[in-house]
Amino acid sequence: MIVYLRSGGKLHELLKPDVDQYTRRVETDEGATLVEILGELGIPLAMVAFAFVAGKVQKLGYVPSEGDVITIQSPVAGG
Amino acid sequence: MNGFGGTIVRINLETGGIKRTPTPEKFAREWMGARGFVAKTIYDEVPRDADPLGPENILIMAPGVLTGTFAPAGSKIGFGCISPATNGHADSNMGGHLGAEMKYAGYDMVVFERISPEPVYLYIDDDTIELRSASDYWGMGSLDLEKRMKDDLGEDFQIATIGPAGENGVVFSCITHDFGRQAGRCGVGAVMGSKKLKAIAIRGSKSLPVHDLPTLTKSTCDIIQRTKTHPLMEPWQKYGTALFVGWSNDHGCFPSRNFQTTYHEGWEGISGEKLAEEILVTHKACFGCWINCGKYSRAHIPGKPDVYVEGPEYETIALCGGSCGMTNIHDVAYANYLCDNLGLDTMSGGNTIGFAMECYEKGIITKDDLEGHELRWGNIDDFENIIRMIADRRGIGEVLSYGTKGAAERLGQGTLAFAHQAKGMEFSGYDTRWYSAQLLSYCTSDIGAHHNRSWAITADIQIGQDTPEGKAEVVIYLQHIRPLFDTWCCCRLFWGEVDVTAEEHVDTIRYITGWDVTLEECMKISEKIWNLTRSHYLERNGGPGRRFDVAPARQLEEKVPSGPAEGHRVGIENFEYMLDDYYYNRGWDKNGNPTREVLEILGIPYVADNLEKAGLLGEPFEDGVPEVRGRRLKPKAM
Repeated sequence: MIVYLRSGGKLHELLKPDVDQYTRRVETDEGATLVEILGELGIPLAMVAFAFVAGKVQKLGYVPSEGDVITIQSPVAGG
Repeated sequence: MNGFGGTIVRINLETGGIKRTPTPEKFAREWMGARGFVAKTIYDEVPRDADPLGPENILIMAPGVLTGTFAPAGSKIGFGCISPATNGHADSNMGGHLGAEMKYAGYDMVVFERISPEPVYLYIDDDTIELRSASDYWGMGSLDLEKRMKDDLGEDFQIATIGPAGENGVVFSCITHDFGRQAGRCGVGAVMGSKKLKAIAIRGSKSLPVHDLPTLTKSTCDIIQRTKTHPLMEPWQKYGTALFVGWSNDHGCFPSRNFQTTYHEGWEGISGEKLAEEILVTHKACFGCWINCGKYSRAHIPGKPDVYVEGPEYETIALCGGSCGMTNIHDVAYANYLCDNLGLDTMSGGNTIGFAMECYEKGIITKDDLEGHELRWGNIDDFENIIRMIADRRGIGEVLSYGTKGAAERLGQGTLAFAHQAKGMEFSGYDTRWYSAQLLSYCTSDIGAHHNRSWAITADIQIGQDTPEGKAEVVIYLQHIRPLFDTWCCCRLFWGEVDVTAEEHVDTIRYITGWDVTLEECMKISEKIWNLTRSHYLERNGGPGRRFDVAPARQLEEKVPSGPAEGHRVGIENFEYMLDDYYYNRGWDKNGNPTREVLEILGIPYVADNLEKAGLLGEPFEDGVPEVRGRRLKPKAM
């Protein structure tokens, strides 16, 4: 199954985008959680504050579907 | 001069005298604006023994080189003075539209001197500058007054106000603008109140001269196009900073019940998701910003009037929410509104009330002190009672009006151990027992504990949360790069979140001013300002510097009792190790005093002379300044 992870800012270097400046194509097993996918990519879970899929916030236990475009956001200082 | 309004204004509030002088280009180039202008001016002009709330202190407002320009969110304006909370250098900035308006009126800095005999407000309409009576406005809430002044003067005036807390000298009073943007920290509102200056109203219609408009326009359009499609733009627009409550809680840095622990039961009720779901009215942006991270909200609490407020943002949720035991987003938004309208910083305000709630829990503050009320965790009625007592400085509110350090000194009974402050200014919304670099950031900050001076939480994660090694160098880098944005006066979000690089910001400065400036030069200016404000603090408070870089005992000694960070604490040995490392990396001596070599490298030898006269100059290094000084150790994530 193919999903697309997108990010920038602090996570840019960790994500290693390969599709465009912000996007990485990831092949993964069906049923894998975002935690498992991030683990396989070597991205520390503590560096991901949340995921954003189709306009909605998702926790890292989210199970992506084929073709999902998943934006991941790092922790940020408050205002 | 390109990029600047061209004029500095001095206003003697005692006599009503108004003096205008051209902004010297050398001054602008060497200090860049806002934080730099403030640091240099108060260092040069305020007597070292001046009372922060007395006539010898000055209050400065100054935009920066990027304010009012095409730079992404070039919206900021800085305020500065000697802080009544720390007795040291203070600078605090706000977004909104005031800074741009001031530059369009043609002004780069306004210096308020002395004390007005009667309440006044400053009226600027391009070339017209007047002090006008504010007798009708005295006593009004900050938000109420902004509405009133827009009705009185016109919607196109940009207004900054103080509330009753600032009038009464509460040391964590703020200056408010645009119905919810604050120069919140360091008690700048109290200094404004001490001068009987109730408000500032500015309308400007001029344009800013620019060195290379075609290149600036093209560069800005490219940045806009690129960032509009940035993946992180949508979450920021939709939720703003409040969305990080969940992460902070899950990772053991969210303050709960005055930092007693770092996991807050019931956090879901005050999360960013809950804000968007239940109270969000609309999104709001500052001048020149297309992120719109501001959230305008409505709090609805049965038995109380519905109120509208900008926020609550993460810091307010952490400190008025978690640290005060709240679990309902309406309550936090209402607390935010109370702070804003009374003219109090939500961060120090929430932190101080959390401290008071713990004192009540321990029996140190009683119902007798509270005019018969209680002060229970998570109770919005109790919060409202105590915050009004603080703003009025009534009863125990007088004690708490000095902030957590001042209150602990007055209350005694071991309360200083759980007063979460550094140098007299309260912690931002992050517990540091599992984040030692952040503790070092707070304790070495020139203005007291403030995350915008250095936010090192993600650096802690990358380096290793429990190790003290490698923290100092990163903290110093962050202490130079983050406040640089307060000097240039643009929002950090474009840099930190949507990949507009610091180098691109410097390019923008070049297109605007025509200066041949580099990021390296800007970083050196930032380091110069840091050394100047550190030295100023020592000249006012004595030495050695190490005496002031002190952490609250709870953060050093008490292990986190529950949640993801359970069992963690920084420990005195680790903290002392980090301090040693920090001073060495700055080129200061082991007592934390700046050395002549460093001050001369930075081009401020007169500061070394002053420190020497006061007996506060650091001992020189035998083999010269350590090579690591000035090295830019940039963490992968900031």
